[in-house]
Amino acid sequence: MTPATPPAVAERLLRLSVRDAEWRDAVLGDLREEYAGMFQARGSAGARRWYWRQSLPLAARFAVSRVLPAAAPPRRRTTFSVASVEAASLGTGWQQEFRHAWRALWQRPGLSAVIVVTLALALTANAVIFNLADALYLRPFRFDQVDRLILVASDIGGDKPYFDRESVTPADFLDWTRMVATTRELTALAWWDPNYSGVDRPEQVHGFHVSPGFFDLMRVQPLLGRAFTPDEGRFEANHTVVLSHAFWLRRFNADPAAVGRTLRLDGVPHEVVGVMPPRFAVPYGSEVWAPLAYDEATWADRRRGNLMVFGRLADGQTLATARDEIAGIVARQAAEFPDTNRDRKSNVVSFSRGLGDDAVGPFVAIWQAAAGLLLLIACANIANLLLARGTERQPEFAIRLALGAGRGRLFLQLLIEGLCLASLGITVGFGLAAVAIDYSRNFLPATVVRFVPGYEFIRLDLATMTAMAAIGALATVVFSLVPALQASRAAAGGAMLSGTRAATAPPGRQWLRSLLAGAQVALTLALLVASALIVGAVNRATNGAMGFDKRNLITAHLTLPNGPYADQQRRRAFAATLLERVRGVPSVTEVAVISALPYASLAPSRTLYLDGQSVDDAVPRTVDLQRATPGYFAALRIPLVAGRGLSDGDGPDAPRVAVVSQRLAEDYWPGQDPLGQRLRLEKDGEWLVVVGVVGDVLQDWFTGRRLPTVYRPLAQDATLSMTFVARTEGNPTLVADAVRRAVAAADADQPIESLATMEQVIAAKVTGIDYFAKVITVMSGVALLLAVMGMYSLMSYLSSRRTREIGLRVALGATRPQVIWLTASRAGRITAGGVVAGLALAATLGRVMQSALFGLVTPDPWVLSAAVLALAAVTLAAGFVPARKAARQDPWAALRSE
Amino acid sequence: MKPTPYVGEFEYSVLLAVLHVDSAEAGEAYAVPVRAVLEDRTGRPVARGALYTALERLEAKGCLRSRMGDPTAERGGKARRYFTVTPLGVRALKAMHASLASLSKGLEALLEQP
Repeated sequence: MTPATPPAVAERLLRLSVRDAEWRDAVLGDLREEYAGMFQARGSAGARRWYWRQSLPLAARFAVSRVLPAAAPPRRRTTFSVASVEAASLGTGWQQEFRHAWRALWQRPGLSAVIVVTLALALTANAVIFNLADALYLRPFRFDQVDRLILVASDIGGDKPYFDRESVTPADFLDWTRMVATTRELTALAWWDPNYSGVDRPEQVHGFHVSPGFFDLMRVQPLLGRAFTPDEGRFEANHTVVLSHAFWLRRFNADPAAVGRTLRLDGVPHEVVGVMPPRFAVPYGSEVWAPLAYDEATWADRRRGNLMVFGRLADGQTLATARDEIAGIVARQAAEFPDTNRDRKSNVVSFSRGLGDDAVGPFVAIWQAAAGLLLLIACANIANLLLARGTERQPEFAIRLALGAGRGRLFLQLLIEGLCLASLGITVGFGLAAVAIDYSRNFLPATVVRFVPGYEFIRLDLATMTAMAAIGALATVVFSLVPALQASRAAAGGAMLSGTRAATAPPGRQWLRSLLAGAQVALTLALLVASALIVGAVNRATNGAMGFDKRNLITAHLTLPNGPYADQQRRRAFAATLLERVRGVPSVTEVAVISALPYASLAPSRTLYLDGQSVDDAVPRTVDLQRATPGYFAALRIPLVAGRGLSDGDGPDAPRVAVVSQRLAEDYWPGQDPLGQRLRLEKDGEWLVVVGVVGDVLQDWFTGRRLPTVYRPLAQDATLSMTFVARTEGNPTLVADAVRRAVAAADADQPIESLATMEQVIAAKVTGIDYFAKVITVMSGVALLLAVMGMYSLMSYLSSRRTREIGLRVALGATRPQVIWLTASRAGRITAGGVVAGLALAATLGRVMQSALFGLVTPDPWVLSAAVLALAAVTLAAGFVPARKAARQDPWAALRSE
Repeated sequence: MKPTPYVGEFEYSVLLAVLHVDSAEAGEAYAVPVRAVLEDRTGRPVARGALYTALERLEAKGCLRSRMGDPTAERGGKARRYFTVTPLGVRALKAMHASLASLSKGLEALLEQP
């Protein structure tokens, strides 16, 4: 095994922060040495956590000593003495500039801390989003020359709502391999999730049948053993299999002797010939690969397209030339085989584009927008604080100008102060980002991780850190520019003479500050509304009307292998045994089998043909086909609208019957009695007599459509893929073990693909959007926090500047409410302005989200009002607290304060 | 002769720990065992950063001398930094010790109670 290595990012961070090379070696080496012990004692995760805990404080310590060669300067609450001003204007070195900047920051530790935390939070949000965008969308696949890889799909027309990657027919593929010149090494893959049996815990594993040249195409060599030989692609060749590194670790404990062993996959012995290196799991988190070995008849098939095709562009060729060439070949095929290929079109895309998830795009775009807004809020906040600080330092600047410091020099000084703040913020942000990214990674459940390309890249990597530093530097320029410009424009004479506290800032600057605070309120409102909308959408998807009762249901999904279960009779027998056993469990009240569980899998579509109605091809007559056992409607509490449900009498030899959904009855027999009508699902298929009508069920939350559905008795059309559902009294998870035992009793080799309550099934299905919603919600929470911090610090600063004025007013008889009103009314005006601007922004954002998220999101006036009220209340409170404090002070003390 | 440098309480402990490790195995005192001895004998956790800072300061004051060992695989190709206490360090220790002793003189009854 490879020696345990500590987290690379933590180590890199530490390496960057220790300046002295010898110390760097000593410190890193010491940690390495102890890490090995920790690894033994606490395991990988524990040791990694330990390493982070050890290295972060160390890095911080060394980083500080790196920029502060001497010990940190004492915290003095004095402005620069004349001597130091002279030194500043006469001295040259950058080091001195930095030392000045540090000292200036140390003088106001509270203010500096607020700025650093604000910046760190905004940077963390941006780092997390950048990392997610980079991993999931921009570069989900990172192996050698991935940009030379392409994916070829073919399309028979029709209205598939999604990009069908597995669509090439075997015969077409063979033709292509012979004719294509722009692309070398075309490789075909076919989906193959076999049942791994003959072991204690049978399970379904994820895998693909691949052309023998697949690994060569991907430019990946096995870690152990070998890849497939061309010979193994022949039909009737010995069954061989290559394992993924993860599977090898999990089921063979990384035993090198696994190569040469035999695995039972779908009941057939397969010899293990190789193990792939870590992290190679293409496509879709594959754990096993076996050679694609079709017989002649299958290779001649031009009808059923289920192959995914990868290729590598030949030297000098581009995606466009490959696309043109393959389009030409497909056109020739269409002419040559009009029966099957007349409507076929090719679709050539880059590998990343082809295997990536299209749906991620809009999510990432909205996240990015939200992170950008958050950064703007933080910049506005920091700029405002620095402006306030700049006013306070007006006399200092004036003195320095008077003593001959150039305006450029002052400008530079403030920019350097900004840089110092930024470097602190970035350092803190690195730590926060490591935690936040780790959290966002672990949030995704294992079941969906397989379908998240780039999942393994969700971590704090160098690209993310670089982006974070770059964004931080950019933000620095943005937020220090305004105060720096103002400082360098400071009127030398006036400010120096005006003493320290008497004057508040000139009106122009106050206006600018209010504008910045108002902008924060507006941006925050937009974020709040966006997150409220998306949370509402998730809530509707998980708790909205579904047409069935999701509570107290346990579900077990399994797929019978085609070999032993080729015969329908065996499938029926399996289902019957299982139903019998589960029915015997005491707390189970209803039990049934359904071919495609709502929310879990999509039911296959069929075209509907009605007795006595002529077929018009132009009108789509797509319906969902389901197979169910008699107890299904009772188990899910789907209401019976008319006629009867399915019954035990509808056996394999009984007349063919069907139950239809309400929507189907209304669509196709408006105003007629659906009972007794005949329908069929293939042009020359058998007729089914409608015996009942049931309520509509939301099969797929994402489209939100209630598709017309035909339910057939499982006994008359048994499927290989089945889901058992059992309604229980009380907690459904308590019968999970009984279900597991029942499956083992029915067939000891049969794994259960997923065993979960219906509520878990629904939760897993909405994971993606839920994840999306949670990220946005956290960001809007941070935005709210920043807005409150901004309002509070601005207001308390302003009231502290007006101490004397307030004292005077109180002394002259102003009441406390009047004094509070004096400050708080300003907070009110800022909030009101911000809300108005924010509403316009929120409306725009809402429209963008509506179009990006396929109508999932519906603008809601209640949500809008709630967000406005919440925000207004919080910001007004933040403005009120300092105002009340100001009003409480003793007027005489206030007047004497200077 | 150089003036005897003043060492703080923590630096004093670190010097003693280095001496302990060094006398057990000559020339083998580096941060890991030194920290172990410190934590062992004092029963308090010692922050890693504090130890490195103290070692660096003691070296700057001339109380410690360091040399780099050979890189080893178990440390990811990194070398150890070994410390030995210089005569000046011993003098600083003695001075500290003497001042503590003179300060506690007359308080034996209180201090040496179990």
